[in-house]
Formats: sequence, structure tokens, C-alpha cells
Amino acid sequence: MSEAEDKEELGADLLSALKGAPEQESPDVLAGFQRKLRARSGGKFYADGWSTSRHPPINTYLITSLLMLAVLGSVYALLAPLSGEPVKIENTPQPVQVISPKPAP
Amino acid sequence: MEPEDKEEARFVARLAARDERAFNELVVLYQERVFRILLRMLGRRDEAEDMAQEVFVQVFKAVSTFRGDSKLSTWIYRIAVNLCKNRVKYLKRRKSDAQDEYEALAEHSALTSGSGFTSGDVARPDQMVEGMQLERVVQLCIVELEPDFREVLILRDVEDLSYDEVCEVTGLPEGTVKSRLHRARGMLKQAVQRKMGERAR
Repeated sequence: MSEAEDKEELGADLLSALKGAPEQESPDVLAGFQRKLRARSGGKFYADGWSTSRHPPINTYLITSLLMLAVLGSVYALLAPLSGEPVKIENTPQPVQVISPKPAP
Repeated sequence: MEPEDKEEARFVARLAARDERAFNELVVLYQERVFRILLRMLGRRDEAEDMAQEVFVQVFKAVSTFRGDSKLSTWIYRIAVNLCKNRVKYLKRRKSDAQDEYEALAEHSALTSGSGFTSGDVARPDQMVEGMQLERVVQLCIVELEPDFREVLILRDVEDLSYDEVCEVTGLPEGTVKSRLHRARGMLKQAVQRKMGERAR
């Protein structure tokens, strides 16, 4: 029996029902794959756990960096006035006196 | 070599070099198709999800042995089908009752998604319900088929793979694939008629 006859016997309704998707949305296989590979390779692959993920938590890292910058800036702003003017150091050399050797008696 | 083949060869080279980003692309590209096949073969969403992750781990392990004799997709399907068959055997040994969960899943999906049936496609609501019911029954009957028949039916009639591709995935000669497919369609039709009859009563 040919393919066409075979399909005809199966019926158009049944064929279309066959193709009907049974699942809801497909799961996020990537995260599970990365987790498994990281565990099985002893951390050799996907080691950092976020940079290679599909949705890395960029906002968390961005906010943390900005907060750290703000802290450093305020520390600098607080401490800079305390440092005052630098003390001037006199370090000009004294004039050199040349002493001639005493004549022998 | 076709430009498409060249591109695939470059991609495979990145995979063989264990490029993590290439693997991310691979998973994103194939996860839906792999998951769909596994879900139909196994009939359980949790099992299919776990198995899909396992398929890509196996691809990661074995990609250096991929010689490009077949398409990358066919090779991935083969890994998926082989893992799936082993899992089915294991679950059968454990006498896992996949049917109940699949029934719930099929019922849920039929009611939530309608799976392709829209009010525009079907003139009357009762016809739509009938269509959804048939779809649900068909999904149940696929899971009840023997794995050898189920795999050829899914690959050919659901995933629309060519006979050559089905042969490559299953490792069977074309004649065997055709005869199994013929028998699988017959068994499916009988099972659906039987189930629809039961429901009508």
C-alpha cells in the first residue's frame, strides 16, 4: 500500500489530530542542561553560573556596581577635605664652603 | 559543499571545541523539537523535561564523534530516540503508570490551548469540542502503542521527517520503517475507534 493510500485510510481528521501539539509551552531546558553539565564536569563547564545563562541577572550586578561606586565617591568626598594643604619642605642646599688645607709647619 | 552545510560544519566545530555559547545556541534551537518528541514518546512532562536535558548532555559528550555523515538535527534526534527507548524500558520495569498523568496533561492542553482549533476553523462549538476530544484520544493512543511503532509514527507523521531521516534516526532499513509505519497507523486507527466507541457509550 502506498503512502498516500495509507494516509487516506487513516483519515484527514486523524492525521490532523496526530499533529496537534499535546504540550503547553516547552520548558527551559537550557538552565537544567547547564546545571547538569556544571555538576558532572566538577565546575569545569558553565563555571560562573550566570554569564552563560540565558537570562543572567544583569540588573543585580549593575545595581551592585553602581552602589559600590556611590560608596567610594562619598568616602572620597568625606576624606578629601581632611587632607589639607601639603607642608612645604625647605630643601634648598646650603652654600658650599671650600676650606683650603693648612700649610705644613 | 552547500553554504548551509558549511555553516553547520562551522557550528559543529565550535561545539567540538566545547564552546559554551555554541551549546547555548544549540539547546535553544533544538529544545522545543526534542522536548516534543520526548513528550510524545514518554507521555510524561517531567520525564520528557529531564530527558531533554540528558539528550543535550549526551550531545556535549559525544559531539567530537559527530562526523557530519548526517544532518546535526538527525543525529540529535537519534540520541533522543535511543535515550527515550532506554527510559521507556526502565519505566516499564518499574511499572510506572504514565497513563494517568498523560491523561491529565492531554486534558489540560486540549482545554487550554485548543491545539490549532480556533473559532474560525470550526463552525460550531460542538465540532470544536469533538475535534479536541479526538486530538486527546489520539495522544492517549500514541502512548499506548509499542515503542518501536510509536517512534516511526511520531517521527514520520508528527514531526514530518523524510523516510531517509527516519531510517537514519532509527537505524532501520527503509522497508522496515515503511511496514512498521503502516502497522502503526492501522493500530492507531483501531485504538482511536475503540476509544471513541467507549466514550460514545
